[in-house]
Amino acid sequence: MSGFFDTLKGWLLFTEPAPREQFILRENENEGDGSLKNSQEGAPKNKRRRRQKGNGNDAGTAQPIGRRLADNLNAVKIRFNVPTNSDVMIREFDIVVGKKAIAAFMIYYDGMVDRKVVNDDILLPLMLLSNLDVKSDEARVPVYIRSHLLTHNQIKEASELDQVVGEINFGGVGIFVDGMDSAFTADVKGFEHRSVERPNTEMVIRGPQEGFTETIRVNTSLIRKRLKDEDLIVEDVLVGLRSKTPCAMLYIRDIVNDSLVAEVRRRLKSIQADYIHDSGEIEQYIEDSTFLASPHMVATERPDRVAAMLTEGRVAVIVHGSPFALVMPTTAFELVQSPEDHYVRVPSANLLRAVRLLAMTVALLLPGLYIAITNFHQGMLPTGLLLSIEAAREKVPFPSIVEILIMEISFELIREAGIRIPGTIGPTLGIIGALILGQAAVAASIVSPILIIVVAATGIGSFAIPSFAYAYSFRILRFGYIILGALAGFLGISLGLFLHGLTLVTSKSFGVPFMAPFAPRTAGGLGDVVFKEPIWKQERRPDYLNPKDEVRQPKISRGWIGRQNGGEDQNGG
Amino acid sequence: MEGDIVFGSWEAIALIVNTICARIFLNFPRSMAEDAGTAGWLETVYFTIIAFLFFWLISRLYARFNRQDLLDIAELGGGGILRVASGLIILGVLLFIGTIILREYSENMMIIALSDSPISFVMGFFAVAMAVAAYLGLEGIVRSHAIVVPQIMLALLFILVAVVPYYQPTNLLPVLGGGGYSILGKGFFRLSTYSPLVYLFLLPPFIKDQKSFKTVGYAALGISAFLLLASVLAYLLVYPYPTQLEYFLPVFQLARLINYGRIFQRVESLFVITFAASAMHYLSAILFFAAHIFKKTFKLTHHRPLILPFTAIMFTLGLLPNNLMAVIDLEKKVSVRFLWGTTFVLPIILLLLAIIRAAPGSAPAGRVSGTGGASGGGRPAGAPKRGGQDQ
Repeated sequence: MSGFFDTLKGWLLFTEPAPREQFILRENENEGDGSLKNSQEGAPKNKRRRRQKGNGNDAGTAQPIGRRLADNLNAVKIRFNVPTNSDVMIREFDIVVGKKAIAAFMIYYDGMVDRKVVNDDILLPLMLLSNLDVKSDEARVPVYIRSHLLTHNQIKEASELDQVVGEINFGGVGIFVDGMDSAFTADVKGFEHRSVERPNTEMVIRGPQEGFTETIRVNTSLIRKRLKDEDLIVEDVLVGLRSKTPCAMLYIRDIVNDSLVAEVRRRLKSIQADYIHDSGEIEQYIEDSTFLASPHMVATERPDRVAAMLTEGRVAVIVHGSPFALVMPTTAFELVQSPEDHYVRVPSANLLRAVRLLAMTVALLLPGLYIAITNFHQGMLPTGLLLSIEAAREKVPFPSIVEILIMEISFELIREAGIRIPGTIGPTLGIIGALILGQAAVAASIVSPILIIVVAATGIGSFAIPSFAYAYSFRILRFGYIILGALAGFLGISLGLFLHGLTLVTSKSFGVPFMAPFAPRTAGGLGDVVFKEPIWKQERRPDYLNPKDEVRQPKISRGWIGRQNGGEDQNGG
Repeated sequence: MEGDIVFGSWEAIALIVNTICARIFLNFPRSMAEDAGTAGWLETVYFTIIAFLFFWLISRLYARFNRQDLLDIAELGGGGILRVASGLIILGVLLFIGTIILREYSENMMIIALSDSPISFVMGFFAVAMAVAAYLGLEGIVRSHAIVVPQIMLALLFILVAVVPYYQPTNLLPVLGGGGYSILGKGFFRLSTYSPLVYLFLLPPFIKDQKSFKTVGYAALGISAFLLLASVLAYLLVYPYPTQLEYFLPVFQLARLINYGRIFQRVESLFVITFAASAMHYLSAILFFAAHIFKKTFKLTHHRPLILPFTAIMFTLGLLPNNLMAVIDLEKKVSVRFLWGTTFVLPIILLLLAIIRAAPGSAPAGRVSGTGGASGGGRPAGAPKRGGQDQ
């Protein structure tokens, strides 16, 4: 009860807002300045450090590796809960260095590593090949082992236990040698993962057919193989105090605004959650506004889309275990674009976009408009149509608001059930849905046939929105418009549009106004916002991203149309 | 600090154009017909010229003050007392206009769409819209204007063009309508039509520089003058003089005439959305500036706590007039007669006092010098300054 009164008090009485520094995407500064301006380093970070287990982002509680092998063995057994943890494998062996045998052990998770690589590239050289007569005067044991014995291609030396633990948790192997105050780690990942397949949620007819998988390195390689640019930076960040989920921040160093990179890094590193499983969770931790219906970043499973957005000066975040990459910042207009828009010719792309705009309008407003017109503005319908609607509604016992809510809720039920239902009985749901939503409801005079058309058109409209997260927001807001339309007709709809518009124009995605480049109006980069200009006319990158390099291509990018010197001179200038 | 928010010329132009032209959707064309009969359009041209002259004079005087609003200038000219006095005058005017307009819009909405609803219910929708918008701040209001106002203008022009087949040039005869006094005498007081220009004198801290101030002023006046004149001309051309005096909502009546075939007719229902959009934007600007002026007049830190009380005051006062006729009568007696003074005379007096008494260019305490603009091609385009609307 007291919670209710507190809420009521919060609505009625003014409380001074807590000071919160807004991130502003300014023109390029050096990275240090940007991070300083936008960060609130200091107190909060230290206060919230509940349990640092070697996050990798913070080396505050590092445990050094000792020289005695027994101590190290004991330490890792405690750390990995051996023998309770049944999949932790510890293998003890001897290494021959010079004429003496040195005790050692290695540790890894069974199932996470490639056994063949472990056997052939780690154990075999250490246990057997070390007996060979190696021509070397090297007396330092670590250097000798690294230089002459370990034949694996990815070997690191770690001086702290946390570093070794991090590697092991991500499919590596840790090698401890008696007398060494450091350990070797080798990347021998061999866990099962899905191969690269077609993206499930962003199908295109024309364009690449590869989608991300759940493996971070596969995903980064899918982008790198497209961009082939040494300035593409893949920066690793570990998120999750316990899960230490590997994330990669991708950006093109000489295009992206430095303060944007600093801000994304700051937000990622500030996450104090125990476990992070998917990019959807990361999105919720770093988005600007929790309760705005629209998403603040693009979630895509298409590497080609991520690559294209990186070239505009954005930052992408890939999370290990998630087939969806996050790209930020974004605007409302980019959320209704499909990757296919860039691959088809201009007339086709613009037709698709016009259809999509229509679909959005229908998905958002059609039920509300139907209610408004049938309840308040019957006069705007041509007489014939009005009579046919009224005739269809004659036997329906409910007011139109109840009628439409019944249908919309039924539709939402079927949509939700359709996702959860096992594949084998999926067709059954289609039959039930068609019966409930169509024939039976009309035959029982619960709803009018025209309403079936309205609900069906609304559903189809929402499916035509490329971003499923954006489509979700339309599904939520649609109910608001229905209620407003039922309350006050077009006045209610106008109020809804006004408030909806206000929330959009006041929103920001990583410092970029959500309705840019129209509100505020920004210069250049308008060729691919609502409708698309020919690709050769899109000469500048979006101005609202404040990229370092604003020019995407020269004024005349099609060298062959030049009338002098075959166009080559013009291409250069 | 308002200096933290800087927006571009187009946003400011859209804001002022909507606040001036919102009257077109109410009764402006009919008022012109009442004043000067068939010469209503000449009256519009006449007072528009005067408005341009006044603005020319004010912008010349304003040239000495960069990014200072009327209250800053009042403080320069007469210290805190003049600032408080000027603030209270402008605040009173805004609350009065806001109240009248809130009631007038609601009454007209009832006439065209919600005839069975109580007035308080309809007013409630507008009140919610303006309160939420003012709460979200000026940044949201101007950006919303920047997107919506062009659409409102296009919708208006569409209506005016779609009734071209009904134009009857002889309806403009006699050319001088009610005669010289009705055009020149009554017309002078119609200068109050441009009274929303007062917002421009409150905007300097939010816009880039003095050049932008002049650009915004002239552009807003020019676009508004075109729309006002076009609406009056269309109304006078379509209806003969006796009929011109009958309709409360001239543009709505024009929209009702549109009829192209069996399907494309009854466009007036779409007029409701245009009308409501214009009204909500207008009222949100009034409420924000009322709260902003109160805050600035009394040097308060936040404007948000004032929004709910001001909304309640405007809503309650708006219920006092008996009916639409009482509201229109009140508007004629007060708004038309006096508002031109607060928009054109008060700024001139304050500017002259400031020029005489204070060193030019000096800024009062607490004002922040601005940086580059946020839009209109300026940099950082995607990064408008932020912070002020959280107050």
